[in-house]
Amino acid sequence: MRLGHIFLGAVLVFLYTPILVLMAMGFNASPLYQLPFQFSTRWYGDLMGNEGLLTAGFNSIVLGVITALVATTLGTLAALALNRHSFRGRSLLQLLLLPPIAIPWLITGTAMLIFFFWTGIGRGMHALVIGHVALAVPYVVLVVGTGLKTIRTDLEEAAMSLGSTPVHAFFAVTLPLLFPSILGAALFAFAVSLDQFVVSYFLSSPGYVTLPVQIYSAIRKGFTPEINAISTLLLLGSMSVILIFARFARPQSPGASK
Amino acid sequence: MPNEASPLPGPQSPGTGLHDLRGPHSPRKIPGWAATTALLLPAYAWLTLAVFLPLATMFVFSFLNKTPMGQAPVEFTLRHYRAFIDQGYLVRIAWNTLVMGFWTTLICAVLGFFAALALVRCTAGRQRETLLVLILLPFWTNGLVRVFSWTMVLRENGFLDSLWHLVGDGSISFLYSRPAIVLGLVHGYLPYMILTCYIALITIDDAVIEAAQSLGARWGTVLTRILIPLAAPGLISGAVLTFVPVIGSFMEPRILGGKVGMTLGTVIEDQFTQAFNWPLGASLSFTLLAVVLAIFATFSGVLKRGAAA
Amino acid sequence: MTEVHIRSIAKSFGPVPVLHDITTQFAPGSFTSLLGPSGSGKTTLLRIVAGFVTPDRGAVTIGTRDVTAVPVWGRNIGMMFQSYALFPHMSVARNIAFGLERRGIRGAEARALVDQALEMVRLTGFGARSPKELSGGQQQRVALARALVIKPSVLLLDEPLSALDRRLRQDMQVELLRIQRETGLTTIFVTHDQEEALTLSDRIAILDRGRIVQSGKPAEIYERPQTRFAAEFLGDSNFLTGTVEQGGVRLADGTLVQSAHPLPAPGAKATLAIRPEKLQVSTTAPNRLTARIVTVIYAGPVLSYLLETLDGTRLKLFQANRDGTILAQGATITLGWSPEHAIPVAE
Repeated sequence: MRLGHIFLGAVLVFLYTPILVLMAMGFNASPLYQLPFQFSTRWYGDLMGNEGLLTAGFNSIVLGVITALVATTLGTLAALALNRHSFRGRSLLQLLLLPPIAIPWLITGTAMLIFFFWTGIGRGMHALVIGHVALAVPYVVLVVGTGLKTIRTDLEEAAMSLGSTPVHAFFAVTLPLLFPSILGAALFAFAVSLDQFVVSYFLSSPGYVTLPVQIYSAIRKGFTPEINAISTLLLLGSMSVILIFARFARPQSPGASK
Repeated sequence: MPNEASPLPGPQSPGTGLHDLRGPHSPRKIPGWAATTALLLPAYAWLTLAVFLPLATMFVFSFLNKTPMGQAPVEFTLRHYRAFIDQGYLVRIAWNTLVMGFWTTLICAVLGFFAALALVRCTAGRQRETLLVLILLPFWTNGLVRVFSWTMVLRENGFLDSLWHLVGDGSISFLYSRPAIVLGLVHGYLPYMILTCYIALITIDDAVIEAAQSLGARWGTVLTRILIPLAAPGLISGAVLTFVPVIGSFMEPRILGGKVGMTLGTVIEDQFTQAFNWPLGASLSFTLLAVVLAIFATFSGVLKRGAAA
Repeated sequence: MTEVHIRSIAKSFGPVPVLHDITTQFAPGSFTSLLGPSGSGKTTLLRIVAGFVTPDRGAVTIGTRDVTAVPVWGRNIGMMFQSYALFPHMSVARNIAFGLERRGIRGAEARALVDQALEMVRLTGFGARSPKELSGGQQQRVALARALVIKPSVLLLDEPLSALDRRLRQDMQVELLRIQRETGLTTIFVTHDQEEALTLSDRIAILDRGRIVQSGKPAEIYERPQTRFAAEFLGDSNFLTGTVEQGGVRLADGTLVQSAHPLPAPGAKATLAIRPEKLQVSTTAPNRLTARIVTVIYAGPVLSYLLETLDGTRLKLFQANRDGTILAQGATITLGWSPEHAIPVAE
């Protein structure tokens, strides 16, 4: 049907127009975003000299990597227990994964600010790690849990019947089959951290800001196309991370026949 | 007693069957509860430290008479929960926030439902997959940057105006207005609504629609009597997961609303970053949380079914 | 060859009792089927022997060794699973070598054993393939080779053929039986398929609601079921209920049915089971009943008739399709059978 395609096209135009305009303005010579368009890479050159944005970008990447490593470890362990063990209170524990995802970040962020201030944990990189990991863990549990569901438990049982201890069976059978999901979860956790603004906004210290926080304060001070340049890089970065994730998380269940 | 007819030596005699089991681990079982605890503890301890204790602390803070700084003694008070009575403008802001949430959700639901319907009915295979990825991709990019990008479009002499200048004069810019906020929020949450509706619609068997048509149902009847009721779980969970973050938003109203962009979210942010009245901020945050939890509780059945799908 | 003993095993999952006080033994080199409907506890019993489930009470002995407290990986069992459970990320050869590696057998020795095992299941040359490239039947053979190569004390089969289609399944049954005979492995086979149990086993144990209701040679159980459940679950049966009188069973309509088997005391209620193929159209047999043919089912080699007696008792009659004559629907016929074939069963 023609109508459906036209409508979907319109939705895509709506979704991508501002993003493409933002990207284009990063290549427009005018510092005031004035049209007509004149191609220039000036703002990318300026960006290379903008210590604030570069440091913030570097911070964001480091924070994303740390978050991915920690959250993937914690989340994978929890996913194993939640999906492979049966115990009382399991559904309650699964429910407790929802608040970090479902409660508006404004509430979580301000609560963290109060608690970290009150306990002396304070703000800065360590506070950001604590916050970002907590926001990413539920997603890791979800992604790894979905992967685990495609791996039949009788594979581990078969290994045990052949002489493997549960620990060996896990490392020899489940872990290799689960690896794509774990990698996908790590990429996802990285993306969650990279894109996080609200919680970072409350937990950043003057000496340690992430890229979105730096962009926000730059926007509030007044626009400059350098922000478009760095935003373009950020968008392309997280889009590629998510596209790679989508490849790993594709429902090509390991263990099932083609 | 090896069986001579067998190409494999027969099974080992009783009692010696295990002598060659040289696993690296002692053949002992770890108690189940210990393993479960060891696996769960790190993640849940972390969540407790980073989310649950902070929420509890915020609850306590919301009863303090002032931000506990320095030596001055603090007292407990219910004053901040009376803020809606004492400071009338808060009621207006809360109402505006709810109205903003309502419009965003409604527009997302209408656009999202029909986009999902178009995906399910008019596309297939690789085309559908590509379209889905394209629709969802922006959802997982930085929300702040996407909101910022709308300022490029909506500002005076921005992209929208330059399109307008092809046909008319003047400016149709509406940056720093409520519709601009709603537009930015719709942009943010539409992909999610499309996804939840898509998941609900894709499970509907074509035969159901054909059956309805064979019984003489027109397209409008099929839509209102079959598609919308069957897609309701997707619509509702999409609506809840749009409405909740929208009423807690502060960055979108700030950037796209400017001076008219006062919402509960921006008021809360102000208490923490400008006014430094943390107890008031905490009580407003907690009031918002209560609303959010009430919404989740109301729709928990639908949301659970959605999560299971 | 190893004997397996099960003594007073009981197991509950939460408040639900699954097995009640099961005591049985599996003779060295025997092929025993645990037959029962789903929920009868047959799989749980197998998993207790394997060590995946710890019984609440009782003991399991493999050979002379009490393995009740020994975990799965210390029991030296060979197990085949319903879903094959081949490791998808390993080649066929690596799958088979898995258990050998765990026993410290590697290199040339392991390769030789793997090749032998592949030969045994007639898959020579398939070692380098991935399980994904094999058909269901081939995967099943690999699973069998993997279970056998470690020279287990006992072979445990959890409905391993249920995922195969009918023809392939019959081939695998023959294959399985050949290999079991060659290796002389004590084998315990869980199935809900009565035909499969009859074909394969030396011994069948019928389970119902957590109890072994009867066990013995296939022919013994088929010809002399002890309970209504056993008679119904293994094969098909007609049941006639009445009161014991004058060395027979008096039915409600007054007919006295003779049985050649010991009956309960006179005056007691009794149920007689008669196999549908043991009935024939006869006016001279010692036991007779008149019934009307309600439905005729033509199934090629066999004709089945559903009948109803005057008092509404439903009966089944199987006849070999010898000369193509089919009894007419609606006709009233007299069925006869020998007292030898009227088996008293407990309800």
